[in-house]
Amino acid sequence: MDRRTYVKTGAGVIAGGLFAGCTGGGSGGEATETSSGDSGSSTTESAETEAATTESSVPSKVVIGSDIPYRPFEYETTSGELTGFDVDIAAAVFEDQLGIDYEFKPTSFDSIIPSLKNNNFRIIMSAMTITEDRDEQVDFSDPYFTAYQTIVVREDSDISSTEDMRGVRVGVQKGTTGAAAAQSLKEDLDGELEINEYDQIPDAFSALLNNQVVAVINDNTVSAEFVNGEGEGQVRFVEGEGAAAEEGENAPPYLTLTVENYGIAFRQDDDEFRERVNEALATIKDNGTYDEIYSEYFSG
Amino acid sequence: MADSYSGAPAEANATADGFFDDQTLKYLGVGLSSLFALGVVLLVLYILSVQVDYGLIPTILPQFIRAYGLVLGIVVTGSVLSVTSGIFVGLARVSKTRITSGISAAYVQFFRGTPLLFQIFVVYFGVPTLWPGTFPISNWGLPTAIISLTLNHAAYVGEAVRGGIGAVPDGQMEAARSLGMGYVQAMREVVIPQAWRNALAAVGNDQIILVKDTSLLTVIAIPELIQQFRDVNSATFDPWTPLVLVAIAYLSITIPMGRLVEYLEARSDWGGESQ
Repeated sequence: MDRRTYVKTGAGVIAGGLFAGCTGGGSGGEATETSSGDSGSSTTESAETEAATTESSVPSKVVIGSDIPYRPFEYETTSGELTGFDVDIAAAVFEDQLGIDYEFKPTSFDSIIPSLKNNNFRIIMSAMTITEDRDEQVDFSDPYFTAYQTIVVREDSDISSTEDMRGVRVGVQKGTTGAAAAQSLKEDLDGELEINEYDQIPDAFSALLNNQVVAVINDNTVSAEFVNGEGEGQVRFVEGEGAAAEEGENAPPYLTLTVENYGIAFRQDDDEFRERVNEALATIKDNGTYDEIYSEYFSG
Repeated sequence: MADSYSGAPAEANATADGFFDDQTLKYLGVGLSSLFALGVVLLVLYILSVQVDYGLIPTILPQFIRAYGLVLGIVVTGSVLSVTSGIFVGLARVSKTRITSGISAAYVQFFRGTPLLFQIFVVYFGVPTLWPGTFPISNWGLPTAIISLTLNHAAYVGEAVRGGIGAVPDGQMEAARSLGMGYVQAMREVVIPQAWRNALAAVGNDQIILVKDTSLLTVIAIPELIQQFRDVNSATFDPWTPLVLVAIAYLSITIPMGRLVEYLEARSDWGGESQ
């Protein structure tokens, strides 16, 4: 065989393979289409359509940035159907109240605010806590959910208070308030806390099961889904009184590090649309739709 | 380029339309590349003067230095292990024994044929669940980094070495064998020294890719350089300050590595002329 040809062909195959690997890996930008229930019209327009309609205060279709999966707020069922608390709220607010289409666009959480500002989507619904830092970058809707930062450990763990966390390694998701809570816990423990930051929360839970971290700090409802689901019998919440009890709220039974409110994030020049969404949120809270959706996901 | 063809005057090379002759093309090239360079320099100056928040640097520098040290450690360990094992993969690939060459071919097919990110996930998330009970190694991130980078790059180095051996003229092996050397001795003393020179550029290229591949480790929570960028960016919403630091950090590893490869190539050049 002619050696030169062989080498060239080989190089071509390698280059082709590498190229395919690159393009395959970066497919995160593809939008997840959500069919709109009873109206019959499906949201087939591409995400780019949204950019053109940015000027109007209420678009004909809203593209929503979201970090998927974040069970039970936004996740895909095993058959690939997008569902979750945020998704149902979006259906109630945008489809039923405002009469517009919506589409969820997966994005990574730690870059979700820059993505919003770069016009990659119109709003963020991603179980996002309203914080001062974020409020300087975006405008939030009225709060639509209350959550607590909690600690999950393996069943056989002897951790029963925040003081027991001294010197251990915890898993969190990058850029989340769980990561922020871990950081402030680290300061309380004089820096004696190691923090592993994962891309997505299921990775942190895998790491917990695989003995890579001793605890996971994350929002209570999301952790509860794992504790009562895949992790049942293997992991548990750290119990005790915490931030929620201090603030006199009807505290959950487990130790809470912070009390937080979720909001829908808008760009800062989007006041009119934000007002309309706030009105719609108020309506679904009044007419019982919100409670219906709430009890579907958080029955306990 | 036109100047290097001495003798014929430039006019003689002019094409029929008289525009794209050697001289104009040369000036066009100079003009375009200068314009490009000017654009890049202006952009970099703008970023460095307006976008970068120098007040932020002292706060974030310690974590970047720690990350830099970590990446350097992973790179050195990964390089040594992947080049060493890659040489054996390459030797196995040219083996005349069916089993050895077949298995090494399959190895290369798999590790070159699947993304490194996939291999990292296999080692980090997959392997611990195979263990009956709780996985005993509680800091599996770094071992995962070394194992996956080594397995992946050993395949590429192996192919480079195989190519290097293939490029040595068959006569070299035949001559060595006819002098009474055995296969191993002929390989070690005649073929491999020449093959190594052939493979050097490809191996060096691969090792530079290894440096950049450490950025994938951010997904398994290794506090490497990209992770520092993501931390700072999500906390301050300032992308350029950490981006500039990340660029400096990677280039300060890859550029010296490139120079080292060039030096090694020059040293092992054909004929061994003194430089």
